Amino acid sequence: MAQIKIFGYADKISVKPGDTIQFHVSADGTSTAEAHLVRLIHGDEHPHGPGFIEEEIDCVANGTWQVEKQFTQVGSFLEVTDPDRKLALDGSITLCAFIWPTWPDVGHRQCLLGRWDNDRNHGYGLGINPSGRLEFWVGCGNEVDYLQAELPLQKQAWYFVAATFDARSGRATLHQEGVVNRYNSLLGKVAPVEYRSHVSEMFRFRQNNLPDTPFLVAGSRDWHALRGHFVSQLYCGKVDRCGVFDRALARAELDAIRAGGKPPSDGMVAYWDTTKGYTDRGIGDLVVDIGPNRLDARGYNRPVRAQTGYNWNGRNDCFRLAPDQYGGIEFHADAMIDSNWKATKTLELPETLRSGAYAMRVRGGDGAGLAEEYIVFFVRPRMPTARIALLFSTATYLAYANERFATDGQIVQPMAGQPPTISEVDIEIYENPEFGAGCYDTHADGAGVCYTSYRRPMVNMRPKYRIAAFDLPWNFPADLSILAWLEHKGYDYDVLTDEDVHLEGVAAMAPYACILNSTHPEYHSERMLDAHEDYIAGGGRFICMGANSFCCNVAFREDEPWIMECRKTGGHWIAWAARSGEYYLATTGQMGGIWTGFQRWGQKLVGNTFAGEGFAHSQPYRRMPDSYDPALAWITEGIEGETIGDFGLGNGGAAGIEIDCYKLGFGTPPNTKIIASSGGHPDNYIAHDEEGAHAHQGFSGTHNYILRADMVYFEAPNNGAVFATGSIAFGSALPIHGFENNVSRLLSNVVDAFVRPGPLPGSSNRPRENTGRLEPVGP
Amino acid sequence: MLPLEYDRSEDRDIIVRDRFDGFRREYLRTLVNPEVIEEHRQSALGQHSEKLERLLIYFRQRPLEQRYAVRAIEPFRRYQVVRLSGRRGVPPRLVDGAIYTSANDARHGLFLRCIRDLLET
Repeated sequence: MAQIKIFGYADKISVKPGDTIQFHVSADGTSTAEAHLVRLIHGDEHPHGPGFIEEEIDCVANGTWQVEKQFTQVGSFLEVTDPDRKLALDGSITLCAFIWPTWPDVGHRQCLLGRWDNDRNHGYGLGINPSGRLEFWVGCGNEVDYLQAELPLQKQAWYFVAATFDARSGRATLHQEGVVNRYNSLLGKVAPVEYRSHVSEMFRFRQNNLPDTPFLVAGSRDWHALRGHFVSQLYCGKVDRCGVFDRALARAELDAIRAGGKPPSDGMVAYWDTTKGYTDRGIGDLVVDIGPNRLDARGYNRPVRAQTGYNWNGRNDCFRLAPDQYGGIEFHADAMIDSNWKATKTLELPETLRSGAYAMRVRGGDGAGLAEEYIVFFVRPRMPTARIALLFSTATYLAYANERFATDGQIVQPMAGQPPTISEVDIEIYENPEFGAGCYDTHADGAGVCYTSYRRPMVNMRPKYRIAAFDLPWNFPADLSILAWLEHKGYDYDVLTDEDVHLEGVAAMAPYACILNSTHPEYHSERMLDAHEDYIAGGGRFICMGANSFCCNVAFREDEPWIMECRKTGGHWIAWAARSGEYYLATTGQMGGIWTGFQRWGQKLVGNTFAGEGFAHSQPYRRMPDSYDPALAWITEGIEGETIGDFGLGNGGAAGIEIDCYKLGFGTPPNTKIIASSGGHPDNYIAHDEEGAHAHQGFSGTHNYILRADMVYFEAPNNGAVFATGSIAFGSALPIHGFENNVSRLLSNVVDAFVRPGPLPGSSNRPRENTGRLEPVGP
Repeated sequence: MLPLEYDRSEDRDIIVRDRFDGFRREYLRTLVNPEVIEEHRQSALGQHSEKLERLLIYFRQRPLEQRYAVRAIEPFRRYQVVRLSGRRGVPPRLVDGAIYTSANDARHGLFLRCIRDLLET
């Protein structure tokens, strides 16, 4: 009997009672599964904590679901809208494109552009054959004629390539010329590499086009008995301007296009100008045909735009400055941003549902191992009622979605200070590219993954999951320890998500007197960051529960909040680096990377941010003199001794994993106080390079006082305030000893003070010089 | 090292890497002693003596296909040691049938394999 495997996702991540949500499930080895709505309370199974806690919720969707195996189209490509079959050319033809292949020697055929049916061998195509050479082919169903270039393509080199076919004579010709300049390719002109190839041959027959074959760029149509039509022969690399003509262009005409000239209108059927459509705010998935038929193409699985083109000359680092040099569209054979599975169940959520973290639990067979799935989503109240909100870092969950760095990341073991601890589901996603990757991964062709989405199973946004690289609950399952603490303490709270804050701005946060965020609030769009700043400056009281806070800049399209763009640049703590000239987000036109690059350090918002990371061992905090200031004594009230948090589910301490520190030079508000601080972390904790221009000996934990988690507090205008823990491990210390410990006590002190209306405790006693240097805010 | 062994290698960096690796291993072998192994057994994670730290940094920097990992069969209860494939999509493979009852025990089993590899090659 086949092993039962259940995977699923929901179409929404944040909903309200009464909303409709769809669940998409794929199952192996079973045709039925038992589904039950649950409210999630604690997600860490560590034996020193309360273990996994869920609460079953009655709902009409509970019961047996019919499930089936669902297939996923992996790989990015362009599909041309051609209802009148203008591209079903049966006679003479020219195909041309600028290309920058990233993996020409992958060993299987890659279709660059064509109207080719890979299953029935009909049509025509220009591509790269299994030996890495440019190839043109035509098929009539029974037979295929091929013409290949004399030498393999070089990776990461710009070429102009074309195939012409004279249907009268049967002569097919391939044109391949390098268009390498000083900037645009891996190699420069000192490398004695031959790029040029021109070959010609007589074909025995003409192509025959099937009526429904789509014209594709970066793939070709295929068919499978179970899944039907799909796209295979996926291409890895960039394509710049490309076109189709219904005659064989002369060599001089092709040379003129290669030189940057306008393509001839005589015989032009389509010419996709990949530089058209840029605005100051980015570019979408539509690729514009400037030919007579307006056969625009649309990207599938989000081909990467805002990439440098064949004519990039190194002067400009952004498409906003020179869009004509940013014609590169990059394709990856393993890109995936939407599983596009059929909906298995649609549910109108009960009106009585309280705000919280929920999941549809779906079990096949005995529900063991991969036979159990939790499809997580968050329920906000229809109208906010609580004074407290717990803000789940769904942008960070997206960034880490299905990461595979324990198995693929060279840097991970030295960073983590330990070997990975791999589970069954890690192996499952490693073997199957259908799950898609996260922004910590690289594509198989070596490029960083810059798009991620929640419309696919996210196996690490589940309760109980432990990240392989660090053997810890990470992000969502760790954040449930904060939710469990709120439950245990009996606080009345609502939940929010990053998506809500992105879509609604400060309006999503404003109803709450006090907001706690997550253990790892790393990724923020500009709108999210602005909302936080306005909330705090407007009198909101904010508890930053984690670390690596407010570091990375990401973007979402207005109409597709489930897809996030992330470009990695700046700092030496990034999983991959955007290539030269490709730092800007195609979604918004803003530079990607870290907020440090914009003078928006996390310190400026919450008093502390990223000092470094080390993962394998956590430390306690020690109280600092500010904690004994009578005006601040309320924070540590009831806490005996100097040490706070010498325990925790996150490697035995409340300070660790990733840690944030105070720094006036990075905008920590000058009235900020350090209540407690850690230090002496092991040497696999390394300070990141914002702390020094050159890496040098002594950057690591036992040598460097900067490697510490600072627990900071400051008052903001309008009775606002911020308390920040500076540590990812803080949240995982809360459940120790049945939630009765000094970390829990301290957090209670802060939450109790923050939810109380009126001035903060001790604020009337604040020494004047603490706030006297602050500029007045607002009118 | 056989000087002609690498003649067909396209990436000359590998030759340099391997030579450096040879020097490094020669030195690291001198650091292995019962005290270092006992130190790791008692504390697989966190700050270690300089000798042990040097060994661990080396083991964590091996090419992916030469690295080991812990496989959690049942978290907090049963673990095994596996070897990474270093090839995308190819799962790690079991190195033996040993079952460890804690992650730290498995990490130590993994460490002993690394020590054996270091001493035997």
